[in-house]
Amino acid sequence: MSFSIRQRITDEMSGAALPFVAFCIALNLTAGQITAALKIPLYLDSIGTILVAVLVGPWSAVICGSAANLLAAALGNPSMIFFIPVVVVIGAFTGFLARRGWFRKWYLVAIGGVLQGILAAIASAPISAYLFSGVMMAGTDFLVLYFRSVGNTILNSVLYQGLTSDPADKLVSYFIVFFLVKNLPQRLISRLRGASNLRAPDSTT
Amino acid sequence: MSTGQSLSRKLALVLLLWVCAFTLPWTIQASLCVVLIIARYAVLPLRPITPRSAKAFSRFILYSIAVATFIILLNGLLIKEGAVAAKVFGIPLHKEGLLFGARTASRLLLLSFSILLFFVSTSLPDLIEHLQTKGLPPYLALVLLLTLHFLDQLPARIHQIFLAQQARGAPVDSGLLSRTKALFSILSPLVLSSIVESIERGTALELRGFLQRPQVARVIKRSESETDWLTISLILLALAVLIYRIVQWLIA
Repeated sequence: MSFSIRQRITDEMSGAALPFVAFCIALNLTAGQITAALKIPLYLDSIGTILVAVLVGPWSAVICGSAANLLAAALGNPSMIFFIPVVVVIGAFTGFLARRGWFRKWYLVAIGGVLQGILAAIASAPISAYLFSGVMMAGTDFLVLYFRSVGNTILNSVLYQGLTSDPADKLVSYFIVFFLVKNLPQRLISRLRGASNLRAPDSTT
Repeated sequence: MSTGQSLSRKLALVLLLWVCAFTLPWTIQASLCVVLIIARYAVLPLRPITPRSAKAFSRFILYSIAVATFIILLNGLLIKEGAVAAKVFGIPLHKEGLLFGARTASRLLLLSFSILLFFVSTSLPDLIEHLQTKGLPPYLALVLLLTLHFLDQLPARIHQIFLAQQARGAPVDSGLLSRTKALFSILSPLVLSSIVESIERGTALELRGFLQRPQVARVIKRSESETDWLTISLILLALAVLIYRIVQWLIA
């Protein structure tokens, strides 16, 4: 049995998973349209990656996130390409948690979301600090400005800003995915490889 | 010039510009940004392929000027080293901060322009086909092509669901909590319909034997190695710049 990365990706990407991963890449890129229409102050730009991590697997989630950032760059937001390491962390970590059954209980989802937010903040801080000087032309720039004005370095300011806003965003994203997959018919979920992530260990169906 | 050759040259150019963005002084990087903007109009293979791409590039230039100005001013304001270079509305801007901002902004713009110029002048299906000739697995190529299909469809589908939920009285204009609940009423049918569609498409792929015999699906032949001197020259130039910078750093 081969344990190469390519083999693992091929194992995950079978049947319905291929079109589903494609849909989730597109969802990552268009979720902002929904939040903008509803005037909700959230990014939700990794909701597709989290969905794939839970319903398909970590390798597919890494591909989903990376492809979404590449396509975002192709569609007019080139800075997204530099944040591929962050989505790799999000995909791999969420897939890791999902495989250990963290998406079966709401309180584990809450802890996972906060942990994911912290990890995402740590992963994105050096990129944001060294490449962008902490300026992302978003509302969170004012937080960076505040932390810098009180004497922190750029890296620390960006990290503190990430630690302030990312856990909340990821917590909401995790809960959205949790409630979405909870309300999906088992008959449909069972066609995807990650169905076992949502079943109790003693369940045979 | 074949599409594959053109893509290889553009990728080599992006590599060279990325190396320049991390090695050369900011004044050269800023000059290269101007050269890239001129190249978008003057060099045929770098011209946007659709009016939409051209619009995206023009919009990004305006956006990047705003970002660059913001980065320079912000650093001038917050890094209080060196003499006061200027005052804006009575607020002092320090020289070291402004220089640091200029270095960061020029690097960022060069990286961003190089990526954007590559993508606006390249058709995504052509790029995927080219990557497949270079060894991209067929299932990944399929995922990317399906994504382009979904990207065309999804905004219309989201709009349709949004209007339907609004007609049913979903609280899309109420308080934040109600709007967050409305988010579920939009996302649920969207994800559900996508899974149903994915199963149908997945079954169709399995019935056609796509996943069992990917080598049959690989209808695009791998390109035979052909020497393109311009691509090689650009890669060698990138290497030379990199080595020069390393040597300079070692001497210093």
